[in-house]
Amino acid sequence: MAEPDAHRRRRAQGALETRVLAALHEAGGAVTAGWVRDHLAAGLAYTTVMTVLGRLLAKNAVTRRREGRSFVWLPAADEAGLAALKMRRVLDGEQDRHAVLASFITALPEGDERLLRELLESGDD
Amino acid sequence: MGIFVFLPLVLPLTAWPIARLAEQRLHPRTATVLLTSVSTVLALCSTVCLALLMVVGTAQLPGNPLPDGWSDPEVRASVPRHEIAGKAAIPALLAVLAAGGRTLARHARVRRRAHRALAGLPGTEVAVLPDAAPYAYALPGGRRDRIVVSRGMLGSLAARERRALFAHERAHLAARHHRHLLLVQLAACANPFLLPLRTAVAYTAERWADEEAARAVGSRRVVARAIGRAALAATGSATGPAPVPTLPALAAPGPLPRRVAALLGPEPAARAWPSLFTTAGLAVWTAATGAALSAMFSANSALTLAFLLHAATPL
Repeated sequence: MAEPDAHRRRRAQGALETRVLAALHEAGGAVTAGWVRDHLAAGLAYTTVMTVLGRLLAKNAVTRRREGRSFVWLPAADEAGLAALKMRRVLDGEQDRHAVLASFITALPEGDERLLRELLESGDD
Repeated sequence: MGIFVFLPLVLPLTAWPIARLAEQRLHPRTATVLLTSVSTVLALCSTVCLALLMVVGTAQLPGNPLPDGWSDPEVRASVPRHEIAGKAAIPALLAVLAAGGRTLARHARVRRRAHRALAGLPGTEVAVLPDAAPYAYALPGGRRDRIVVSRGMLGSLAARERRALFAHERAHLAARHHRHLLLVQLAACANPFLLPLRTAVAYTAERWADEEAARAVGSRRVVARAIGRAALAATGSATGPAPVPTLPALAAPGPLPRRVAALLGPEPAARAWPSLFTTAGLAVWTAATGAALSAMFSANSALTLAFLLHAATPL
């Protein structure tokens, strides 16, 4: 029974990342992790907010700079940008992703590229 | 059972001719459905026979958990060369199960992670992601089927070509192509002789979606141009390692040029089945006969072994 719980927790974390990012956008400037926690008003622990910010930093979805003794955080991506970063990781992480997700185009070897150009030129006549 | 228990292991070879010919001689829809069904039947039969051989092989091993009566000489005599075949079947079946399990797990994992990546976005059918790399995927399941497309992909296409792209992805989702793809992958795990069918179905499913897209936008040429432009844009922006140079004279054209060429050519006839007196017709019948024989032999072997084991088990 540990599996579904783990999935739910991970999904909750994904949703939390989105909410923290949204909070940073609403802030309209660089803010501290404490501000994010208060703004979310979800009864989150300070360390949880820091963990989420750290994960967003690893995904290049936020930036931070030191101000006094703590960091202030700025959003680097919007929600769609965060989704794009996550999707990129899914796609890059799976060698055989084409086996699961039917994709519009697949890799085009060099010989095929020339052939394709010729075909398209003949098709444009 | 005799030699018949081995035949379903090699009968997938009867599907090779149609796997080669389906691409050109059958409508992509017919080809996808036919190849998937044949592949599934042949894989199931092959696995059943492997399991039967494994039972005979396991019963010979000292300290096995099976009833003692199952190593009866009469049971062993039912399989020619049982001492080799029986024992070889044990690792073979384990490998089949492991490969199948891995495929299923990967399928679930990719879909789950892709849906989770989109979790923060509004739940629209089409999710446009701000990414310069051109890609587009049909993502089934989750709360709803979704189409994932990058800005890079949309930017490389004109308005009509975008409509063709969306129609293509919708066709994948509407016809549940991911199920076909998963079935042929599992079949190829069960019996490597079914690998050509997996490759063929991966191609015919794309062709099927292309034809549906052509019908939706009312032009085969627009779909061809959309594929071509998207593929060339992807090659131009590739960030990965440079493609390995191939010898064009030796390499057969890959799937993308073949799809474009097929769209620039005439529309495939919607007639369901080719006549028996054509090469494709013969190939279809060969595969169908192979699948039927495979089903018959594996059912016959399973019954025979069940009777033998029943008779050998002391009451």
